[in-house]
Amino acid sequence: MNALAFANPLILFGLLSLPVIWWLLRLTPPRPKAEIFPPLRILATVLKREETPAQSPWWLTLLRMLLAAAVILAIADPVMNPRASSLNSAGPLALVIDNGWSSSVDWERRVETANMLIDEAESADVPVSLTFTADTNNEPTAGTASAARDKLAAAEPKPLVPDRLRAIRTLQEALDGNPLGTVALISDGIAAPGDNDAMTALAAFAPNDVRLYQGEGRGAVALTGATNNSETMAVTATRLDTAAPQQLTVNALDQQGRSLASGTVDFAAGSGTATAEISAPFELRNDFARLSVEGLATAGSTHLLDDGFKRRRIALISGESGSDFQPLLQPLYYINRALSPYADIIQTNTADLAVAIPQILENNPSAIIMADVGRLPAETYEPLERWIARGGTLIRFAGPRLAAAPADDPLVPVRLRQGERALGGAMSWSEPQSLADFPTFGPFAGMPRATDITVTRQVLAEPTPDLAERTWASLADGTPLVTTRDVDAGRLVLFHTSAEATWSNLPLSGNFVEMLRRVVQMARAGGATSASAGSESAAATLPAYRLLTADGLLSTETSGVRPIMIRAGETPSATFDHPPGLYGTEDGFSAVNLLPPGAELAAFDPAPIGRAVTRESLAGGEAVSLRPALFAAAFAMLILDSLIVLFINGAFSRLPKGSRRRSGAAAATIAAVAFGLLAFQPHPVSAQEMPEGSGAKAGDEQILEHLDTTHLAYVTTGEADVDRISEQGLEGLTEFLTYRTTLEPGAPVGLDITKDELSFYPIIYWPISANAPMPSQAAISRIDAYMRNGGTVLFDTRDQYSSLGGGGSTPNGERLQQILANIDIPPLEPVPENHVLARSFYLLTNFPGRYNGSALWVEARQDARNSANQVSSGGDGVSPIMITGNDLAGAWAVDQQGAPVLPTVPPDDMQREYAYRAGVNIMMYMLTGNYKADQVHVPALLERLGQ
Amino acid sequence: MASIGQIVEQTPSSEVLSRAQARAALVPDCMVEAKRIANTVIAGWHGRRKRGMGENFWQFRPYAEGESLSRIDWRRSARDDHTYVRDREWEAAHTIWLWADMSPSMMYKSTFAMVSKESRALVLMLALAEILARSGERIGCPGIMEPVSARNAAERLAAAIMHAPVTTGLPETAMIRGQSDIVLIGDFLDDADSVMSRISPLGKRGLRGHIIEVADPAEETFPYTGRTEFTDPETGEKLTSGRAEMIREDYQRAYLARREALGEGLRRLGWSFTFHRTDHLASEALVAVHGQLSGMPATFPGGRT
Repeated sequence: MNALAFANPLILFGLLSLPVIWWLLRLTPPRPKAEIFPPLRILATVLKREETPAQSPWWLTLLRMLLAAAVILAIADPVMNPRASSLNSAGPLALVIDNGWSSSVDWERRVETANMLIDEAESADVPVSLTFTADTNNEPTAGTASAARDKLAAAEPKPLVPDRLRAIRTLQEALDGNPLGTVALISDGIAAPGDNDAMTALAAFAPNDVRLYQGEGRGAVALTGATNNSETMAVTATRLDTAAPQQLTVNALDQQGRSLASGTVDFAAGSGTATAEISAPFELRNDFARLSVEGLATAGSTHLLDDGFKRRRIALISGESGSDFQPLLQPLYYINRALSPYADIIQTNTADLAVAIPQILENNPSAIIMADVGRLPAETYEPLERWIARGGTLIRFAGPRLAAAPADDPLVPVRLRQGERALGGAMSWSEPQSLADFPTFGPFAGMPRATDITVTRQVLAEPTPDLAERTWASLADGTPLVTTRDVDAGRLVLFHTSAEATWSNLPLSGNFVEMLRRVVQMARAGGATSASAGSESAAATLPAYRLLTADGLLSTETSGVRPIMIRAGETPSATFDHPPGLYGTEDGFSAVNLLPPGAELAAFDPAPIGRAVTRESLAGGEAVSLRPALFAAAFAMLILDSLIVLFINGAFSRLPKGSRRRSGAAAATIAAVAFGLLAFQPHPVSAQEMPEGSGAKAGDEQILEHLDTTHLAYVTTGEADVDRISEQGLEGLTEFLTYRTTLEPGAPVGLDITKDELSFYPIIYWPISANAPMPSQAAISRIDAYMRNGGTVLFDTRDQYSSLGGGGSTPNGERLQQILANIDIPPLEPVPENHVLARSFYLLTNFPGRYNGSALWVEARQDARNSANQVSSGGDGVSPIMITGNDLAGAWAVDQQGAPVLPTVPPDDMQREYAYRAGVNIMMYMLTGNYKADQVHVPALLERLGQ
Repeated sequence: MASIGQIVEQTPSSEVLSRAQARAALVPDCMVEAKRIANTVIAGWHGRRKRGMGENFWQFRPYAEGESLSRIDWRRSARDDHTYVRDREWEAAHTIWLWADMSPSMMYKSTFAMVSKESRALVLMLALAEILARSGERIGCPGIMEPVSARNAAERLAAAIMHAPVTTGLPETAMIRGQSDIVLIGDFLDDADSVMSRISPLGKRGLRGHIIEVADPAEETFPYTGRTEFTDPETGEKLTSGRAEMIREDYQRAYLARREALGEGLRRLGWSFTFHRTDHLASEALVAVHGQLSGMPATFPGGRT
């Protein structure tokens, strides 16, 4: 396959010109007279160079010949591995195209490959049959090439696992036993269930030629699961291509698609699965809505999370009503304090458990905590048990009442002995017990041993064979402290000591908080599933709420999807009828992910087809053109040639006289090293490859440059003329500031608010244009953060005169409203008469731009009543927002010559001058903050000081 | 054959000064036709047509309560029952900034010329300073001397130049304020656009300017023949021409086109442009600029404008 072909072979005749070039290069002119001539630049415009060196050495000539040859060869465009194939014309061409989840990454190339095959089929006059393996309704009847092209254009990747068997069955029906010429499988390379049967079925066609087109499998990376641990969220990923080590970033995104946290998946060479840890605070993890692999937009690389990860709602029930005067003796006091940062607490307002428990169950909490409740009203057992079976978690604490309760209580995890056991005390030999190491299973695994806890009283469990594995924590003498039992989808947990400090000092310990938090974290977030369903049929039928697209985004397009049945405690996975997405309603939904947990990707194996398979790669990218390499070589030789010419012409003769002899060798060395670098270092050293120890990062210099001098900045809207006026306007204002004030700003900077760092700039000018694309939500939230951190944005709708007519808002004004809709802006007012803005440098009454008349709106000042005790705001009293419609930049804009670009309306030079003054005042206001405001009060301050 | 052009040493200020004074003696006083006089408080010879400090009578007006008694003109007051105060006309001085290019390319002198371009430029500058100072104007040199209003301004300028560091390129002009005149003397060999881009901001700021281009005859006529290597004295750049006489016409066209473009650009800016060759007499240029400054452009053939 290492064939070499030329795209333009005729160019190779250019090589015949090499002898002519040789002859030309050998010509030599006489030595010139030397003349000093000041207007050399003018002479240079008329003088054409007609120079060759006197006696170019043979090796230099050879170098130049090689250079010329390389350029000629490069123009001829040699190509390695040209694509060549021909279709079997014995029967129709059957294209079986995988349009499953991983094909969306290189879908264009797949379509290109298919188109190429269809073109070949058209030229061979062979009918074409198209089948898509992830589509439910295929019509693989062999048809004309143009019909196939239409079908191909309409096809798109689906967020599903392809079902090849089903596709080939459909193909079988459509072909009705006719033989096939060529079968081309454009595969995503991932094995799917039923592949063997599919390939066997395909073999039944007895095709003459089987081809398998596969991509590089770059998109075949999938997230298969996520589990919430106590500190981190563990994300499992799998991949198809296991050869090389690979590092991928997994981002956790919230409902709005903002990235909240990220982790790294580190695939070792040869391993197909890996786990990433996303560490984020517990509160933040509640907001995770989906996980996605950075740089990959497929349905498989996105893992949806449902509200199983949400903040828990917890109900507290106490056996005694207690008195509010002694809160420290109440068990719920400690639990409340421990859990309130992590969970929503529900407390009953009645001590009547028969009323309280149905009330609580109506709220459908994740967990119910009962502190020292011995007996419950009989009618409450049944609903409580039903709630637990559906997924509720009941956490109980012991106490005198529980110790006195009968042993057959169904709502304790273990059988308890009557009465409690006291450790230590005047009548006992035993000592208060401390805690043993936590076992390696259960929620407390990994916590360090709690050495500060001593237990003086506890209730004891009857020993049973499975007691040890149901014990989450035990005392040093081996008696269990925390036991648990699973009941259907729910769970019972019992702390064998009390929740207040009489039985142990556990509630006073920091470990108590951590233990409760971990236990609560294990409870289902949504509480028990669907309270309406009966206890046995816990399955719920949920309609589609949001569906995942092939690009890994959520869409509201849910037509044609059947409601899914989800049983409690099951993790459903996607099928053709139930594509991946969120099912349920806005209030509560379950996530259906593409791949089941623990799935691994295996390579697709077409072997069962039983005949030779021609493997080829997708169109685009595999035929290697030698053109860039040749051009690079020519360029390297050109640089080498320039160095040699410089040396020969004496550019290095400024070296000291003594070293002149050695300079020849030095120059040769330089040339050799330069050539060596060019030849053997294909990748230029970039800033990222700098040694780590230096601590420098890419972009540091730019940041330093922006920090050194103040720069005016504007938002690039994407509209060329608006951006140009903004730049010229700020250029003009910069010049004016430099000339009139001590502020000498650097060149204006155009900002891309989606990614540029904003914090370097005191003010950002934002010309609003309704025609420009609406900035993304993330960009607007960056602007919001900028304003919150003390920056100021000057919005200019530039529509003072277009809004004269009806009084309705203009397109630009509407756009401004859209942008501001998502920003937290303070109340605004037009600049009042005695505002600092009107007197920070010049004394101004209005702030004209190209137009005059629109007010400049700034943050409304606190009224006089509040100003006395007003704490200074974040921006040092500077308004974070200014809005005008006067087109300030239009008035400021100057061209290269310093002449104004746009006329003012009406054409008045003084108005332009006032516009500049307005700009100066705004800048001074920005940079001095409330200093200028304080200046107003100087006389009063001096008077108060008694001077 | 010896080369046509050469680089000469910088001319001493004292020599230039004496030559300049000799030239200046031939030229009458020059009162700058100042259409727009800056609001300077320094007394000068430009009547402002309003009352203020000055020597000439402007008006009598009735004495107002509170004015100093010493300002009453008793001679006039004695004529009738009222007391009068004599007002004088406010007379202000005008500021002229002079600047001569002293870059290496100005040191050039060919065999056809009498002196180097730099020497001629200095002579012109100092002679102008002498003439203008005689008329009581304020003379300054950007970057070298603050404006002074003194009879010996030319001597002070010559002394200042002697001690000034060598500068190249157009001067720093940020200190020039208000409505003044500026006279720039140099060879302006850069292409017209770049010269204009340096000058036009000055024009935009309301300065009135006068440009004197000093050229060597060899630069204009291009008397070179044969294979010649040309060297730029500023950059050291080299350029070799196979047969210099072949490109003479092209060169002359380009050279004159540049001058045309420069003159055109300056005219648009409202500035005057005077061309002067070093094989002509310095007085010619002096008279021409004198005319430009005083608002009466010369019409005789000696001064090329």
